[in-house]
Amino acid sequence: MLALTVVGSVVLVQFDWFGDAASEEAPPIDTLFDVMVVLSTFVFSIVMVMFGYAIWKFRARPGDESDGAPIHGNTKLEIAWTVIPTIIVLFGAGYSWIVLDDIEARADDAMPLKVTAQQFKWTFEYPEADGLRSDELHVPVDRQLDVQLEALDVVHSFWVPEWRIKRDLVPAGEGGDEIDDEFVVTPNEEGTFSLVCTELCGLGHTTMRATVVVESQEEFDQWLDDQAQAEAGAGGGSSAAGGT
Amino acid sequence: MESASVAVGQAEPHEHHGPPEAHQSSRIDRQTLGILLFIVTEAMLFGAFFASYFFLRVVSNEGPWPPEGFELPVAVAGVNTAILISSSFTVHWALEATRKGNRRGMQMGLMTTWLLGSTFLFIQINEYIHIGFSGRDGAFGSIFYGLTGLHGAHVLVGLLLLSFANIRAWRGHFGPKAKDHLGVEVPGIYWHFVDVMWIIVFTVVYIL
Amino acid sequence: MAVAIKQPGLARGALGFIVGSAFGFGLVVALRAISGLEIFQTEQTGYPHLVVPAITGPLGFLVGLGAFDYWFRWAAGRPTIPEDHSQHGAKSWRDYFKFNTDHKVIGIQYIVTTFFFFLVGGLIAMLIRAELAQPGTQIVDPGVYNGLFSTHAAIMIFVFVIPVFAGIANYVLPLMIGAPDMAFPRLNALSFWMLPIAGILFLSSFLVPGGAFDAGWTGYAPLSTGAPLGQSFFNLGVQFAGASSVATALNFLVTIVTMRAPGMTFWRMPLLVWANLSTSLLVVAATPFIAGVQFMVLFDRVLHTNFFQAAFGGDVLSYQHIFWFYSHPAVYIMMLPGFGIISEVISTHARKPIFGYRLMALALIGIVVLSYTVWAHHMFVSGMFAWLRVPMMITTLLIAVPTGIKIFSWLATLFNSVLHLRSTAMLFALGFVTTFTIGGISGVMLGMVPIDIHVSDTYFIVAHIHFVLFGGSVFTIFAGIYHWFPKMTGRMYDEKLGRVHFYLTLVGMLGTFIPMHWVGMEGMPRRVADYAAQFGDWNLMISISSFLLGIAQLVFLYNMIVSWKWGPRATANPWRAKTIEWQVSSPPPIFNFDEIPRVVGGPYEFGVPGARHAIMGGEEAEVRKPEPAVVGAAGGGGGGSPGERGGP
Ligand code: HEM
Ligand SMILES: [Cu+2]
Ligand SMILES: [Cu+2]
Repeated sequence: MLALTVVGSVVLVQFDWFGDAASEEAPPIDTLFDVMVVLSTFVFSIVMVMFGYAIWKFRARPGDESDGAPIHGNTKLEIAWTVIPTIIVLFGAGYSWIVLDDIEARADDAMPLKVTAQQFKWTFEYPEADGLRSDELHVPVDRQLDVQLEALDVVHSFWVPEWRIKRDLVPAGEGGDEIDDEFVVTPNEEGTFSLVCTELCGLGHTTMRATVVVESQEEFDQWLDDQAQAEAGAGGGSSAAGGT
Repeated sequence: MESASVAVGQAEPHEHHGPPEAHQSSRIDRQTLGILLFIVTEAMLFGAFFASYFFLRVVSNEGPWPPEGFELPVAVAGVNTAILISSSFTVHWALEATRKGNRRGMQMGLMTTWLLGSTFLFIQINEYIHIGFSGRDGAFGSIFYGLTGLHGAHVLVGLLLLSFANIRAWRGHFGPKAKDHLGVEVPGIYWHFVDVMWIIVFTVVYIL
Repeated sequence: MAVAIKQPGLARGALGFIVGSAFGFGLVVALRAISGLEIFQTEQTGYPHLVVPAITGPLGFLVGLGAFDYWFRWAAGRPTIPEDHSQHGAKSWRDYFKFNTDHKVIGIQYIVTTFFFFLVGGLIAMLIRAELAQPGTQIVDPGVYNGLFSTHAAIMIFVFVIPVFAGIANYVLPLMIGAPDMAFPRLNALSFWMLPIAGILFLSSFLVPGGAFDAGWTGYAPLSTGAPLGQSFFNLGVQFAGASSVATALNFLVTIVTMRAPGMTFWRMPLLVWANLSTSLLVVAATPFIAGVQFMVLFDRVLHTNFFQAAFGGDVLSYQHIFWFYSHPAVYIMMLPGFGIISEVISTHARKPIFGYRLMALALIGIVVLSYTVWAHHMFVSGMFAWLRVPMMITTLLIAVPTGIKIFSWLATLFNSVLHLRSTAMLFALGFVTTFTIGGISGVMLGMVPIDIHVSDTYFIVAHIHFVLFGGSVFTIFAGIYHWFPKMTGRMYDEKLGRVHFYLTLVGMLGTFIPMHWVGMEGMPRRVADYAAQFGDWNLMISISSFLLGIAQLVFLYNMIVSWKWGPRATANPWRAKTIEWQVSSPPPIFNFDEIPRVVGGPYEFGVPGARHAIMGGEEAEVRKPEPAVVGAAGGGGGGSPGERGGP
């Protein structure tokens, strides 16, 4: 059983279950998941080994119509399998809590970013660049993003799988501060990713994607300049999203 | 009641092959337990609307409550509350009378309860007509009509049950034995629930 | 024909439906004409002239069917008709299409109807998988696709899994506790007849303008409040299904509390009874929440209230809170009765008492209590109050403890047993233990907020819910159907075909749902008609496995139909079980018992010399005589005979 657990765990933690990681939040989450994989393998192999053993060992021989041993229970055993799992899950809860605090910790120099979703389109706004808007998301690498969410019609959900972070965008009224519409994430790999809407939002939900480009600070600044110029040139038309 | 038992009595001599009498494994009878559980369900239905009320008023509402421009006729509703509460007493009276075999008292009690309940409903509808806003007016309108309307629907159901009890009472049913007056007792329990629920709705919607 | 219209029955029901619909239609037209509104309002959220008849029509049907005949008489204070039991029991197949108050007939009605919906839901699933077999759009466009997965889930949850358990329990539970029928037989029949109405409402949404409802089975506002007309049919279907399940639950609770045979204390109740007691507690107290929230959606749609309209002060997230306050308990409503079935099957076929019976019962109660405290684990990424996440995470993870207790107890029951694998019921029970363990483990992972943030609303969730609902609930349903098939039909099914069904189902199920974990974790969201090319291979494999899974169910269907008609006669107690339903003939006599049995011991006293669970009526005298052998060990006898006693 133990051998199975060890072998199973060793094999299973080799996989990148969640796919490529590209944010600072990803490693703690992935590690948490690996720990869970090991624990689960342990629990699952106990159950399966016992199970297989019981079926193999106690299978009725043909013609055996007798009854099994009249065992009604065993208090110690029952307490054990109540208490031990409780401890395991409480450990899991504590550990998850720590990870949660960790991935939600805020940096001082975070870059504000406004994300607006509507059927079926994403718009990104850069308050630091005079409210420049784009429908492609460009962000600098290694800088925390302070993402502010807004939904104009129905519920949508922001997810970049490589960043591991997901949050729904919820239509809010005037008051609005009852919705937790802010999260942080720190991309730390350059590259092009895909932003996926993960909350069913209607006919175009399937195709409600946006391109995410994580680039160096210089490239990002360059991009901002280009965008600003393009916008000025086109009279604020082409790349600016119709937003509200 | 007489006629009913006679009818059953006559059927008996024919070869009657029916189920065995079920064993009564609890002190409480089926009908009473049934109505109590039904009340649990009903209370939870109100719970759903109170949950909505909580979100609309406490979570997502910024300004005063009721919002500006909305005014509730608390005094009229207060009188109406008194009417409904008194009907709880009359239905209790009807049950007591039934228990004592006081046919007249039972009939009067049930009738008064029915009339009081109808008056309540009438005043409530009248209030809707004159209140000056509809369920489309903001979240306040929605939840106001949601809660009071849900309660109104329960009054209607209660009145329906009481109508049955009234009809049966006037047609000579019910008697002092416990199993002969379930038809008064069960609607009565439901009616008490409708009253208690109104006190909660009234307090939450009109006063708090 | 004229006679048929006067008699309660389907013909009069159809008439009632027409009258009811016409009444509803007329009412809307009249009211709108009086208030000077446009008579036919055809905004997609409107159509009152169709929505109101969709309520009054079914009610008219129920009246016509005869559901209220007795109550009308009672209410009018007319002399009660002596109970002639004409609505009790079935003499021919036609009686199954009538308003019947016999719990055994109702049980069959439930099971057959729900399996019909299972097939419909399954066919829709096949369409979904056909579309997803390849990236790109091949068979249905995204709009239709949204309708497909929404109706699939709604049908499976509301008119298959939840009610089929009510059907199985309807049949066996009164027998198990030694009751002649349910506490409220007429209410019981009414509960059943509301069910086809719910299913037909769901399906008829395909025919209305705008197509079937397409906001998912969760119907989140404000997507649902602005959706086309079909959504209203979802709202109403849920009301009928909900009313049906509340009425049944109430009936079970009253039956269990007030109608147990003498000697059947709570600690002598079979675990199936415990399971239905706990389930019913969940139903009675949680279902009104979904009723309430669907009413609010309907009001927002048709009456233009603002419960969920953020721009007018409504609160979008309140929908999710209220919905999940029902729907998390609902997942246990779909699981606890299955736990009960598994306990019966395992103890019978392992010939052993359930290990830790009392803790098993307490675990059920523990799950009921905890179920009310975990709803927001479906909302970890919803933008709800951030502070609520950690408390909900802790309660969610704790609910795995009673669930684990059940698994461990079943495992322990297998030790030192005499394990018979000859019954397909036992195969499904053992298969269930495996697949449900996987589903429970993925549940624990989902309960951890950081993991859930990543995998929420992806195919990982789809994998989890199918491991617990297919590998969990559906496996237990199959176990139950196979286990009680001889009792219900008086025939034996074909074990060989049963085994084929089991292994195909197991392989198909694992092949379909295991890879879903992977594609989900790697980035494939749920509820999409198309996906990135990188997931193509896995999806093809998933689709192929799912077709295998679909075909496997045809084997089941064939086996059931053929065995029901031509199978060899079953004896009273083919599995040599101890509980009361096996001590009467197969199928049981029309009134279950001549005399109520007397319970003298626990339900699973296998291997305890001389121990008995119940003494059947009329048997009393015989028992006093020295018994030739341990009762039950000689196998069932007296099968086809009308002998109510059954057994040796
Ligand atoms: C060990 C016990 C379980 C735990 C800890 C657990 C945990 C969870 C969590 C946290 C979610 C939400 C995931 C998300 O949407 O992000 C979830 C979803 C779900 N679970 Fe479970 N679960 C357990 C057992 C079950 C059982 C027994 C059933 C049903 C038989 C079930 C049915 C579902 C369904 C249907 C959903 C998805 C609902 C939806 O969004 O459509 N779960 N589970
Ligand atoms: Cu979307
Ligand atoms: Cu849940």
